[in-house]
Amino acid sequence: MQNIILEKIASLFLKAMIIVSFWLLLRGHDEPGGGFIAGIIASTGFILYAIVYGSVAVEKILRWNTRNWMGIGLGIIFIAIIIPIFMGYPPLTGVWMPTPSFLDGFIHIGTPILFDIGVYIAVIGIILSILITIMEVLKWNS
Amino acid sequence: MSLFALLLLPFAYIILALLIKKASIKKRLAILFATANFLWALALIPLVQFKEMIVVQTGGWQAPYGITLVADKLSVFMLVMVAIIFLVTTIYATQAVDKERRKSGHYFFSFGILMGVNGSLIAGDVFNLYVWYEVMLMSSFILISLGGEKAQMEGSIKYLILNLISALFFVSGVGLLYGNLGSLNMADLSRIIANQPELLPQLNPALILMFVSFAIKGALVPFFFWLPASYHTPPPAVTALFAGLLTKVGIYSLIRFYTLFLYHDAPFWNQLILIMGSLSMIIGVFAASSQYDFRKILSFHIISQVGYAVIALGFYSVAGIAAAIFFLGHNMLSKTNAFLVAGWIKHHKGTLNLKTLGEVYKESTIWGVLFFISAFSLAGLPPLSGFVGKYLIIKAGIEANQLTVTLIALFVGLFTLFSMVKIWLEVFWKNKPRDKVVKAPLPPPKDHWMLTTSVVMAILIVAMGVWAQPIINFCEAAAFDLMNPDKYIEFVLGKS
Repeated sequence: MQNIILEKIASLFLKAMIIVSFWLLLRGHDEPGGGFIAGIIASTGFILYAIVYGSVAVEKILRWNTRNWMGIGLGIIFIAIIIPIFMGYPPLTGVWMPTPSFLDGFIHIGTPILFDIGVYIAVIGIILSILITIMEVLKWNS
Repeated sequence: MSLFALLLLPFAYIILALLIKKASIKKRLAILFATANFLWALALIPLVQFKEMIVVQTGGWQAPYGITLVADKLSVFMLVMVAIIFLVTTIYATQAVDKERRKSGHYFFSFGILMGVNGSLIAGDVFNLYVWYEVMLMSSFILISLGGEKAQMEGSIKYLILNLISALFFVSGVGLLYGNLGSLNMADLSRIIANQPELLPQLNPALILMFVSFAIKGALVPFFFWLPASYHTPPPAVTALFAGLLTKVGIYSLIRFYTLFLYHDAPFWNQLILIMGSLSMIIGVFAASSQYDFRKILSFHIISQVGYAVIALGFYSVAGIAAAIFFLGHNMLSKTNAFLVAGWIKHHKGTLNLKTLGEVYKESTIWGVLFFISAFSLAGLPPLSGFVGKYLIIKAGIEANQLTVTLIALFVGLFTLFSMVKIWLEVFWKNKPRDKVVKAPLPPPKDHWMLTTSVVMAILIVAMGVWAQPIINFCEAAAFDLMNPDKYIEFVLGKS
């Protein structure tokens, strides 16, 4: 049975959740938020989407395999870990890019944000890979 | 940086394994990364001899607050041994583990174990030790259940549940310790306890919880049940890896804890450790003699051998701790090699039941010799590494005036010899029973890499026995450092 209202809500909900998760991701570090919780919130959007449209539709949105997303996320974490080594600091040190003075308080880019983005992608990858596997095994809406 | 690479190498392999699809490339990369890990661990030896210890404060946060990675001589010795075992079993697995399992992530999760083991060997604070234990536990649980055979499921559930209980004990201990002392950095904790010995009684609950958790990990006597219930179920290459790494990390942590915290209350802990070690030796060896499965015998022997290392720790002298370290190294090599031989037999005969096997020596002399070397090294015959290990332990025991325990160790050695001879007679020597035919798996897999790795291990076992002196010297230096925790504290926290 097709339910247009539910389908529209699910796709809107996915977009809203992704926007909220970006906001949480970027406000992390100094305020509550961060890569992990943002990743979980983004994947709740994907979960509702998968329940309504089926797991194949989620795979289509993702474009790549969930394993690859995990790999990309962990790869970004890896890069964030080793950047400080090349600059002569111990690994995992937060290294920040100098920002022009008129952006003070708005943007502050450094390895912690890179690390958080890596966590964000890896968490989405892991949750969706679990979700898709379960839905395929149970032959749920596919 | 020098220590962090030991975590980054397995991590990098895990990332690549997620991104690359082709199984053959993943296999080559696994061997490449295992070799790199081995070379890196070797490179730490001169560093640690030159500078005594290596400390990395991650993120630039100084010791009691940040995450500290520390490697002293004991850690480096263990890291090198772990790297050897890991490299050998990785190459061995290219032929011993079936394609299905390799495709569904055998190497992926083995590198997870490597990351966990490396991490726990260099962790400088208690909570990180716990985290690395968890990494190790989860990867090894998946590895033990990979393939999904019925026996495997049964073994892995027991493994998981008992090890989760251990983790629960550990983390409760960590919580209590933090609540009492407000710090989790091992050096800092050791300093606080050394300055205020009157704190000790109120720390006992935490320390006991952690001790029990290490005893579960290390399979000491009242807590060993998970080991023989699970080790005979996965493919032999996995068992070889587990036998070489997992219990030994538990004993490593026990040594670390003992020399940093527990020694303040030595009369109590020495007794406890000696009693548990002796019981482990006796019960392990007797349980092994009653078994009729190749790998079960070897699994029970792990318990008995771990007992040896633990009683040597309980003597609490430089010689005793050096003997414990040497014995751990010897046991990792010999035990892993015995499991490698078992793996070959499983591949060619399709079974590991002693009653249905026979005449293996006639079919393959070289594997017979390889088993002979590792088994009689476990039993402690000269000139193999086990002889030196047991000799050191017994000498330390006599010097420490622990005659009863020493006699038990000698007596258990005799029974070890008995059950090794039993395997030798049943598997390699006796005529093949004609009435019990087990069909061999078809087609027989290629085995040149299995043979090569096992030969390398056998050579290492002999070498460790013949050229023992430099290794003993290194172990003694390590034990000397361990007996002077002030040095460790000063190195991690800086002079204050």
